[in-house]
Amino acid sequence: MQANLPPISEIWVYLSGSPLLALVLTLSAYLLGLTLYERSDRNPLANPVLIAVILVSLSINLLDMSYVKYFEGAQFVHFLLGTATVSLAIPIYKGFASLKGRMGILMLALLAGGVTSIFTAVGMARLLGVDESLVHGLVAKSVTAPIAMGIAERVQASPTLTAIFAVSTGILGAVLGRYVLDALRITAWWQRGFALGVAAHGIGTSRAFSVNPEAGAYASLGMGLHGILGAVLIPYAVAW
Amino acid sequence: MIQGLVQILIFQALGELLSKFALPFIPGPVIGLVLLLVFLSLRGHVPASIDLVGSSVLQHLGLLFIPASVGVVLYLPILQANAWAIASALVISVLATIAVTASLLKVFAKKD
Repeated sequence: MQANLPPISEIWVYLSGSPLLALVLTLSAYLLGLTLYERSDRNPLANPVLIAVILVSLSINLLDMSYVKYFEGAQFVHFLLGTATVSLAIPIYKGFASLKGRMGILMLALLAGGVTSIFTAVGMARLLGVDESLVHGLVAKSVTAPIAMGIAERVQASPTLTAIFAVSTGILGAVLGRYVLDALRITAWWQRGFALGVAAHGIGTSRAFSVNPEAGAYASLGMGLHGILGAVLIPYAVAW
Repeated sequence: MIQGLVQILIFQALGELLSKFALPFIPGPVIGLVLLLVFLSLRGHVPASIDLVGSSVLQHLGLLFIPASVGVVLYLPILQANAWAIASALVISVLATIAVTASLLKVFAKKD
């Protein structure tokens, strides 16, 4: 029976005009990424965000949808970044409980790590002749992505590039971190975790949690404190 | 759950207000984070409703930066032209950061 269905093109015009398409695309790509991540036994290389970004980019390219149009719909997800940033207070608060008077050395190590992160990244990039428009995106890349993007806006860097570099840094740290730590004979879980959280934020932290709970708690503390300190100090570092 | 969401959104709004009118160089959500941290310290524990909302949002933190990251499509040509240099800078930087942070912790922890 031929019902009075509107032509496909009309359905399409309706769908692409509402935020629904971008939202469904974003959420289902993430869900697929998560499934693959679980299937790979939580291999950091199968990062769900990386998978989702590739899938969504390919899809909007295929659908001939512009990025601006996509973001109009997906901004409802984007908005929650601020809420998530505020929520980071919870793991930091819980991390304080397990400190055992180590706050001083943790802050010192964090400060040194943060400075190392910026100077090695920007220095190497300039040395290798990376285009200057990309170099700015490297400044906040060791800070957790939601905060890094806020910092990027304040130092006239692209939030998108910053997010991409932050995710890449997280994956690299989660994959390679153990080799550096083993080579340096760092055996204490809290030291391994904290270093991973400072250098590779959320992705490093979830890696640390999957290895050892104490490492995970210190990693989330490192990530959170780096976020606060980075937001306060990085704009000054850039101005200077 | 709604109660926790409202509380977190209030801290976020306070942070945005302070950022707009008093501390323009710090992102609003980061000020909200610090305010919530102070609130939790004063309370002495994490209220269950805030814990529930915060933990669910943080569990899927990655989802939230997909929309911004997809903007990579706009930068593909310039990223491809600089791919090796950028990759080397990122690898060296993350290794150096881990090495410096962990070594300092090890050295200073021994002095305790």
